[in-house]
Amino acid sequence: MSHLHIPDGVLPPLLWAGGLLLALILLVLSGRGEGTASELPRGGPAQSIATRGALGGVVLAAMALELPLGPIEYHLSLVGPVGVLIGPAAAFQLVFVVSAILALAGHGGFTVVGLNALVLGAGAAVARPLYRRLIPRLKPAPALALSTAVSQGLSGVLWMLVMVIALRSLSHGGADPRVVGMPRMAVLTALALPLWILGIAVESAVAFGLARFLARVRPDLLPAPVHPGPV
Amino acid sequence: MINTLARIDQLASSGTTAWHRASAISKLLLATTIITLAIASRSIALLGSLYAFAWLLVITSRLPARLVVAAASYPLLFSALFVLGSWDQTWQTPVRLLLRPLTASLTAVWLVGTTPYPDLFAPISRVLPRSVGDGLFLTYRGLFELMASAERLWRALRLRGGTQGSPRRRLNLAGESLGSLVLFGFERSQRQYAAMLLRGHSGRICGCRHWAEWTREDAWVALAGAGVAAASLLLWRKA
Repeated sequence: MSHLHIPDGVLPPLLWAGGLLLALILLVLSGRGEGTASELPRGGPAQSIATRGALGGVVLAAMALELPLGPIEYHLSLVGPVGVLIGPAAAFQLVFVVSAILALAGHGGFTVVGLNALVLGAGAAVARPLYRRLIPRLKPAPALALSTAVSQGLSGVLWMLVMVIALRSLSHGGADPRVVGMPRMAVLTALALPLWILGIAVESAVAFGLARFLARVRPDLLPAPVHPGPV
Repeated sequence: MINTLARIDQLASSGTTAWHRASAISKLLLATTIITLAIASRSIALLGSLYAFAWLLVITSRLPARLVVAAASYPLLFSALFVLGSWDQTWQTPVRLLLRPLTASLTAVWLVGTTPYPDLFAPISRVLPRSVGDGLFLTYRGLFELMASAERLWRALRLRGGTQGSPRRRLNLAGESLGSLVLFGFERSQRQYAAMLLRGHSGRICGCRHWAEWTREDAWVALAGAGVAAASLLLWRKA
């Protein structure tokens, strides 16, 4: 649910244009930090871009898969694991590219690419620092699951914030303020809150399995702790 | 979603209409103009005209009807949520909120259905930071292979009972499967990086085949642009 899926023309211009501008500024800043801020496993910038491209494909593939959970089918976002694996700057670039390709496929409008990148990128940005602080105390699987939970939670909160701002701005344009506004916010919250909690639970459980696999097979792909303990 | 993208991708490369032969830059400019007008305009007459115009573009590009309807109706559900959320007891607001995204999505289908991705991404990557532009190319290029791997993994998971048991077990197994996909992606990226070096990678992936080469068919795009400009001048202030 942290991917916006909002089509073009329904959000107020100030919101989507501001989001796009901020996303572009952050992209430029993250591009400048290429090679230093980006914390990919190894290789120069070209290797980093190739890795990011491959992970972007993995994210899109994961988003397309349907996880059957009773009456609903959940689509993963993998924001947390991606943030942990490649770091905040590279993850922000990755989610921008993923959002742009999704817009080309008709999933979400072109104008919300910036907002999507900000919502998903904010979640991805907190994942790696948190993971590196948790890893001296926890095994990789619970550390990644916990980082993913926080990351997904943050993206979900930002998603809700965008939706509330969008609906409020549309309400202000209405003829009768009594028929719009707060009651619909309550409905939105009632619908979104269970999905938000479900999203956190599902993404964390998947991240747990993902980290358990990587820790067994390629532990070098997972980041090291901030202050490595004594050997 | 990926199947739609794969089908559109194939049509963009194999189509033979005048729109397919026109340059990417002219089509990108026309699509941007139409989408910008659709988002900015409050005139229902103009929005209706732009929507009809987008249909004309799509029909003349000979894209399969099923695909067009599927791609173009995707925003309906989300637009409907916003229509309900902002119901102001007038018919104009819902019509506006529906016509804007429908016009934009139809125009986008026309653009991606008539322009191969290297030509479409090349001008876009010129305005993005280098690493992001290159990431756009590489992500798209690897997407279909990764998607096929993901589908094989999912099938294997189902056949081996990975979709049974408690939700926790199922999700953990799904995570382990995605772990192998991540690993496959990393290894694929290393092979790709080696291939890039062998081919003399200069530090920039250049999708510069012929996205800015003007052709005779660009006259049709210019004519369409003139039509859109005339409609917006005439109908901008109309209700």
